[in-house]
Amino acid sequence: MAVSDLAHVSKAGVPARAGHVDLARLSVLALVAALLLLPLLAGGFLLYSLSLCFANALAVLSVSMLVRYGGEVSIGHSFFVALGAYTVAIVEHRLGISIAVSLPLAALLGAGAGFVFAFPSRRLSGIYLAVATMALALALPEVLIGFEKFTGGFEGLYIAQDLIPGVSKALQHYYIALAVLVAVSLALAHFRKSAQGLALLMAQAQPRAAEAMGITRSWARVSIFTLSAALASLAGALTGFASSTVSPNSFTFFSGVFLLVGSVVSLNGLSLSAALVGGAFITLVPTYLAKAGDWVPVLYGVALVVVTLVANAGDLRRFLPRGRAR
Amino acid sequence: MTDVVSSDGLVAEGISLAFGGLQVLSDVSMILRPGVITGLIGPNGAGKTSLFNCLSGLYHGQRGHSSFAGASLKGLGPAQRAACGITRSFQNLAMCPDLSLLENVLVGLTLKRRSGWFSAFVPTPSQRLDQQEAERRAMAALNELGIASAAHDKPSDLPPGTLRLAEIARAIASEPKAILLDEPAAGLNAVETRDLTRALKRLMRPDLVLLVVEHDMDLIMELCEQIYVLNFGKMIASGTPAEIRAHPDVIRVYLGDDSDD
Repeated sequence: MAVSDLAHVSKAGVPARAGHVDLARLSVLALVAALLLLPLLAGGFLLYSLSLCFANALAVLSVSMLVRYGGEVSIGHSFFVALGAYTVAIVEHRLGISIAVSLPLAALLGAGAGFVFAFPSRRLSGIYLAVATMALALALPEVLIGFEKFTGGFEGLYIAQDLIPGVSKALQHYYIALAVLVAVSLALAHFRKSAQGLALLMAQAQPRAAEAMGITRSWARVSIFTLSAALASLAGALTGFASSTVSPNSFTFFSGVFLLVGSVVSLNGLSLSAALVGGAFITLVPTYLAKAGDWVPVLYGVALVVVTLVANAGDLRRFLPRGRAR
Repeated sequence: MTDVVSSDGLVAEGISLAFGGLQVLSDVSMILRPGVITGLIGPNGAGKTSLFNCLSGLYHGQRGHSSFAGASLKGLGPAQRAACGITRSFQNLAMCPDLSLLENVLVGLTLKRRSGWFSAFVPTPSQRLDQQEAERRAMAALNELGIASAAHDKPSDLPPGTLRLAEIARAIASEPKAILLDEPAAGLNAVETRDLTRALKRLMRPDLVLLVVEHDMDLIMELCEQIYVLNFGKMIASGTPAEIRAHPDVIRVYLGDDSDD
């Protein structure tokens, strides 16, 4: 049998897979439709939590994107989220302009900050990069308090301006956050097939081979971090907008860790539904378990362990006695 | 000007490479002419892959000089050499497991793609054209190697023979001026090796530099017109298959005569 004939062997499963994809697409459409209609039924607090959930879902996506395309972990993405949130607040306070301008501006500033961070750290990877990002998250509260003149110090700033005058604030927050989340997940689906997306995946899986195709590791690291930071900042801008306020309390070291928790819980997925799972986990769990207080991080820890164990269940077999390994 | 010098092909002169105190290559020279399939053989540990890595820019020899089409390659890394039109394959199959075979080949076209960062996220007409053109070229490369039917499969679902051919498809998709293949027949069975030999002969063109590094003597003898033999980091022979077969040093190395050492 020739090599080319061998290739046919694995073709059997393809039609079934195609049907599966259509079903997945339909269920995502149904999910979006349900979310679009939800404000007709639900009110006040649920809409507010869901708006925050969408914004957090975007922040989780930014971390997952870095994991998927860069193979890197960041525990300091709260820095870029804060940058976006404060961009919206400061632009409103100083210039009186709504998020129509500050939302794209936040993404641009996030990209700029991501690049400024990634370029000098382009030779760092793994735990070293994670620790470097941790420095960002640790420095953040000090920076926010230090630049009190702009950031409002401990008290933070309010965000009051509407994007669409006359529409209720709750509905605006909800629909704009949802629209951006849907748009970003569509963009990410498109990115997976783009030349840059393929190049980044190759650079992560086979760095040497990628290099031989003209894709350098520094290019890959700097680009994915810049993109991820831009997305985090965009998410931050929406977080600020949806919660109508920014303050150093919302961007502690732990919020960076929680974003990573959200990413792990969503299995680093880049789809809309994965992002919603991650966003919902880090938004709704603390909101609805507010009484649990100090137990929330413990719960997160347990969830992390469980998800990691379940996701890697296949690999766990090697801990079994040899006879039962298969 | 390029026409005159392009006949020079890929030239390595007096390459010496040492890792610490270990001399891996000493004063090795090699000329890879366009239109000729050149083979590099030698026993395990002879320095074949080291020389190969020097040519592809992964290693830089302490001494010596390499040039391509008359232009010096001094100080250029793999990515820059790729931009000069030199591509290589890898001994261990370097496929990305998350990508289909077609997508793995598409990555080989990265330097030829014209879509910018904006169109990476937002579909645009020009990006669609670029995508179609890239897919057409990748499919053509897969077709040339006879594995187009596996285009949409994941590498983990495919036999090593197909993946080897896919690596070569990826290397030729970008229409490079030089292709360096590192042990393309490693791990292949006799039938797959025969298919590979045919595929390589078929893709040979008068303006293409093609180097095959192998320790499979039979494959090299059948495929190559010009053969270099490396042993203990030194070039011990070069010539046509017939000359190499009759060369006393080569016979000694391959028959394992110990009295030489």
